[in-house]
Amino acid sequence: MNKKRKMYFRMITASLMRRRSRMLIALLAIAIGATILSGLVTIYYDVPRQMGAEFRNYGANMILVASEESFTLEDVDQSMSYIKQNELVGVTPYHYETVRIHELPVLAAAMDLEQVQKTSPYWNVDGDWAASDGELMIGKTIASDMQLGVGDSITVTWTPSAGDAEAETTAQNEDELILDNEMEMTITGIVETGGSEEDYVYMSLADMETLTGTVPDLDIAEVSVSASGADLENYKNAITDNVDAVNARLVKRVTASETTVLSKLQALVLLVTIIVLALTMITVATTMTAVVTERRKEIGLRKALGASDQSIRMEFLGEGLLLGGLGGILGSILGFAFAQAVSINVFSSSISFRPLLVPITIIVSVVVTGAACMIPVRSATDVDPALVLKGE
Amino acid sequence: MFIRMIRGALIRQWKKMAMIGFTIALGASLATAMLSVLYDVGDKVNQELKAYGANITVVPKEASVISDLYDVEGGESSGAYLKEDELGKIKTIFWAFNIVDYTPFINVNAKLDDGSSVKVVGSWFNHHMELPTGESLDAGITSLRSWWEITAGSWLDEQAEADENAAMIGTALAEKTGLTVGDTIHVTGDVSDGSYRIVGIFDAGGEEDDQIYTPLNTAQALAGLDGCVDSIEVSALTTPDNELAIKAAKDPGSLTIKQYETWYCTAYVSSICFQIQEVITDSVANPVRQVADSEGAILDKTQMLMILITILSMIGAALGICNLVTASVMERSNEIGLMKAVGAQNSQITGLVLLEIIIVAIIGGAIGYVAGFGFAQIIGHTVFGSAITMRLVVIPIVAVIVILVTLAGSIPAIRMLLRLRPCEVLHGR
Repeated sequence: MNKKRKMYFRMITASLMRRRSRMLIALLAIAIGATILSGLVTIYYDVPRQMGAEFRNYGANMILVASEESFTLEDVDQSMSYIKQNELVGVTPYHYETVRIHELPVLAAAMDLEQVQKTSPYWNVDGDWAASDGELMIGKTIASDMQLGVGDSITVTWTPSAGDAEAETTAQNEDELILDNEMEMTITGIVETGGSEEDYVYMSLADMETLTGTVPDLDIAEVSVSASGADLENYKNAITDNVDAVNARLVKRVTASETTVLSKLQALVLLVTIIVLALTMITVATTMTAVVTERRKEIGLRKALGASDQSIRMEFLGEGLLLGGLGGILGSILGFAFAQAVSINVFSSSISFRPLLVPITIIVSVVVTGAACMIPVRSATDVDPALVLKGE
Repeated sequence: MFIRMIRGALIRQWKKMAMIGFTIALGASLATAMLSVLYDVGDKVNQELKAYGANITVVPKEASVISDLYDVEGGESSGAYLKEDELGKIKTIFWAFNIVDYTPFINVNAKLDDGSSVKVVGSWFNHHMELPTGESLDAGITSLRSWWEITAGSWLDEQAEADENAAMIGTALAEKTGLTVGDTIHVTGDVSDGSYRIVGIFDAGGEEDDQIYTPLNTAQALAGLDGCVDSIEVSALTTPDNELAIKAAKDPGSLTIKQYETWYCTAYVSSICFQIQEVITDSVANPVRQVADSEGAILDKTQMLMILITILSMIGAALGICNLVTASVMERSNEIGLMKAVGAQNSQITGLVLLEIIIVAIIGGAIGYVAGFGFAQIIGHTVFGSAITMRLVVIPIVAVIVILVTLAGSIPAIRMLLRLRPCEVLHGR
């Protein structure tokens, strides 16, 4: 038995080695098929994640609003602990306050100036993004209305409102004179969005604190999460249920549209993958068939020497399996390399390796190769060896 | 004699030739399908991205400077309006074909019977327009607000209930007033009052949930603003911005005449805005950055992804064809040896084998093109629900690829076989 098996392996490997050039052709065909299989499937699985990140260009898809009056940064941090860190793109807390510039009332938004670049990547800032320390950005509408430009220095005035208990007592003590808080600030940029964002001035939370003298409460927080559909809904519910101070809401316009478009894109890649794979597999099969058909004479000769149909089939199957396995392994590596190249070129991020895909690729290539070998072998073994050898 | 030999080879070995033709057809169909989809994917995805709503807003010139600002303080809007009768002109600009949808808005403050104030917004729902070009267009918020969830009733159908005072209200307002579909809501405006039949309740997830949406004329009558429009939202298919577009957006005057022409005749969002301003009196058209910029980014990425997938599948198809052709030529060592033995010259043999394969390749390629176009249609209809346009440029590309690949696959094999000595080959070594 052992001897027989040894002989079997020897015949298979010898046949592969002797006919090196043909076998290389066959191996190449299988490897291409396997590369396309593993490459495209990897991309297919990664597209939603990668594209989802691109869709974050549309800005925040969740907002946190106060369930009572207002909320604090701690509440935001607590809310964010319910979202997976790698899915959180950015979170920007906002505080709105009416201030006056050149005695004209404008709405000022105080926020985290670093985070806003992540949650609103579409803002077009003419000039530089403001940092802290007396720098601010103004909306395009305000800029053209007040004829302000980048680099201008302005005085921002804030009047403590009558409803502010502390300020009221101070004011009443000083003969009903309400003292204004003033602050010199430099305009570093003009915000252009084509939307209502152009009607505000923007400064950091720290500057707002200096201006008003109190730690600003938050009115709203914009959250950008790269998740869609049910995942996002779960995050929303988790935050609303567990954090008392805030209510999470989804930005319908962004989330609903993203689900529609993303599902289309995924369907596109899926369909393309299926068609490309089907065609490639058929090409692999025809190439294998051509390579095996060439060996009709060999089959005839073996039959004439007394080999059983069964043993001939087993031998070709063995060769097919070996080739399929080799091609599959080669294809898995090349396919991953291709997917990685695509991911880096298109999305400039690396792709995760899917170990499960390696056995699948190998199995598919083995099955396709085996099936492709069996068709010509069967037709050759069915024929009388004399006819095959004669070349008809 | 030459022709007879070729015909003989094609007919006698039809099985083998059919297989080569089949593989070439598969490869060609793959290339055709991928290229057709690739050329169209930009337009198709662009169409899908319209789900995010308008990418251009048009407002009156004065209003764009002050009205929004004073709205902040709770005042009335400024009194600058666009003209309703100019709306049709938007479909007459250079890039009219790229304008897929647009709708006007008029905001009117009114009071409910219990004294609380409410905003009535007049707009188009599915306004039907006959264009001067002979086409017709159904435009309005039914498509521009595709993310609204209709919780009860249905979208207001302007064509079916043109004369009736129909309206849609937001969920928050419905909850507050306790009204449902079929009920009547009575509002008092500055000039007149009206009772509207509620045909639908929507959940927009924003401030719209507190508002009443009615046909344009109904809201205009409420405030006595006949023929006036607050703002227009335009949804246009655009080309992602490049440096020229960014430069032009700042000041079209800074361009040279040639640059200006290129810019004006490319569907950049800034040039479409510029053209809209030309036809609507005293208007300012601005791109909505949130939509316009993101569209560009997503389009670029999708196109790049498709290009790379296409390249991979083309390489796959090319290698597959190449491989099979090599295998099938090498198989013919006996035949070539025999021909040499009876005195054929190398060039004759090469010509014969090549011509045979090229004939098969052309037939296979033609079949493959048709099949590939079919695959492209399957993709178009399943994914985007619309056909993929047939592009003539795909034909030469596929033809060149097929011929080149076939030659690349057969020539090295033929050369190798010609080097063999006939007696050795015929002997079977």
